[in-house]
Amino acid sequence: MSGIESTITDFLKLTFLSMVPFVLASQGTMLGGRTGVFSVAQEGIMLIGAAVGFLVSYITGSNLVGALAAMLVGGLFGLILAYFTTTLKMDQFVVGLALFFIGTGLSSLLPKIVIGVTLTPPLVPTLPEIPIPLLSRIPILGPVLFKQNILVYFSILISIALWYALYRTNLGLSMRSVGENPKAADALGINVVSNRYITTIIGGMLMGLAGAYLPMVYTGTFTDLMTKGRGWIAIALTFFGAWSPLPILFGSLFFAAIEVLSFRFQVGSSIIPYQFLTMLPYIATIVVMIFTFGKSRVPSFLGQNYDRERRTL
Amino acid sequence: MTQVKKIFPYLVSVLAAFLVVGILLWVLKFNPLKAFETLLFTSFRTPNGFIQTLLKWIPLTLCALALTVPMSAGKFNIGAEGQMLVGAIGAAAVGIIGKDLPIGLLLPLVILAGTAAGALWGLVAAWLLYQFNINEILSTVLLNFISFSLVDFVATGPWRDPAAGHPTTVAIGEGGFLPMLVKNPPLHSGIIIAIIVAIAVYYFTSKTTAGYELVVTGANPRASKVHGIDVRKMFLFSLVLGAACAGLAGAIEVSGVHHRLIEGLHSNFATLGIIIGLMARGKNSAVPVVAFFISILEVGGSAMQRTVMVPVQIVLIAEALILIFILLSDIIKRRQK
Repeated sequence: MSGIESTITDFLKLTFLSMVPFVLASQGTMLGGRTGVFSVAQEGIMLIGAAVGFLVSYITGSNLVGALAAMLVGGLFGLILAYFTTTLKMDQFVVGLALFFIGTGLSSLLPKIVIGVTLTPPLVPTLPEIPIPLLSRIPILGPVLFKQNILVYFSILISIALWYALYRTNLGLSMRSVGENPKAADALGINVVSNRYITTIIGGMLMGLAGAYLPMVYTGTFTDLMTKGRGWIAIALTFFGAWSPLPILFGSLFFAAIEVLSFRFQVGSSIIPYQFLTMLPYIATIVVMIFTFGKSRVPSFLGQNYDRERRTL
Repeated sequence: MTQVKKIFPYLVSVLAAFLVVGILLWVLKFNPLKAFETLLFTSFRTPNGFIQTLLKWIPLTLCALALTVPMSAGKFNIGAEGQMLVGAIGAAAVGIIGKDLPIGLLLPLVILAGTAAGALWGLVAAWLLYQFNINEILSTVLLNFISFSLVDFVATGPWRDPAAGHPTTVAIGEGGFLPMLVKNPPLHSGIIIAIIVAIAVYYFTSKTTAGYELVVTGANPRASKVHGIDVRKMFLFSLVLGAACAGLAGAIEVSGVHHRLIEGLHSNFATLGIIIGLMARGKNSAVPVVAFFISILEVGGSAMQRTVMVPVQIVLIAEALILIFILLSDIIKRRQK
């Protein structure tokens, strides 16, 4: 393989690898949003998912158990969000922010209690690459797409599955109608409350898994605030992807590419101070928002609670 | 009686949160009573403890106002952290460049530069909202992350103090130091500025026409629009005003506490500011009181970590729980009606 070809392959491979937390957190956001529950707790749920995922796999020695535990905790946060907003009708932003704080606080507390302070960081094995027979031998495309860890495959498959579920099934149709016009949906006999609960819980599970990906793939250990704003970027990405699974998948690639580039330049360049390269993902997110906000299609009832007894919407 | 009725849900919320945290501590094999005693009374045991509490109260009040002022107009400013840091950069820059100026000139310049820099950082988010309708929660949070890198850039750039192990600039000129009110333990006069700002914000939002327009916008943007208020301008204005408060907090930390720009000087003030503002239910007049309570918990929390070995993060969880219980009490009230 020539030099330039391997550079491109490496870059693309890393981009697909780095896309996963964005895909999962953003699909989770999309799912809740599609029934009208707008979470802003992503960053907190990802952090608690990272901490729990890391700790459980450290204790049990199994990344699978760790990932499941992270999803369980994420789902629990989703359940709390759904209960406070859908049942108790509290402001979605306020509840989301409170959960963000609790997730952040707990994620920082748990490792200190369970493991304590150690000189060398405790490590879990990172997820291995699982090459897909035959396909992984295709030049460039093979290593980029078919020689990745299991969650890369999972994040692509779940995006396609979500697209199918939302746009090709009756279940998806009723979910979307809840986010567009809950009153009409309710009148048609669609259960607004249970739809909101289910999507918000599954959304939380995806966010928890997104967090667990960080220690399990990037570092092998948990560090405080290791999400570095990816949860917030995921919200912007959801708008960028017009609250729709497949555009979100492609949008994630874009954000992942910027993350990889910013990291690459920091190592490689000395002309631009590295601080400006660390800013890159956040600046890019803002620029992307300028071009997509207001233009992208948003569920009509996003962020609003539905009260059956109110006359007007 | 009405006063008691108003405070009652707060008391119950605090008790309920302490109960949950107490059980958590007990499960973790700490002594909850000893932990709570340290948490609540450290501020009042020694003069130093009390002054530490006042020193925390200053940035906490200002950062909370950075949330509640825009919230009066119905907007969420989650970017006090960045606004505070950029404010600190502005204050330090002026303090270093003008280091030979006399105090009568340099001090006001430092404070004003910090406030203006914070306001400018808030203006970015406000403008994005005004021009492109970009959700202010997202833009302010993203600007936080950008400000971390900015601080790192300034603190490791040409102004860096080579003697310090941590990214830090050289000291600002002595003319830019806030005078001390008490020498030992040190209490700087930033507290007077914070009190004045808290009163001014209260006066502005409750006694002036412009402030009234702001509050009305938050209460009912559609009705306000119909009655000729430029709602979007109000959003912009409220965000910039809130950001100025956070910028001032940064300037005071530079001018009163550190006398230089230090990476990490924002501590957790902005996060707590959000919690305080939400606990105060966005009421500007309640902010100073709630901020004082949280300052007590913060000072007690670090003492608790030192003496009872309880991790300090437990305090943040306690505070978030108090917030949730306060919000729950609103629901109970609504149901009773």
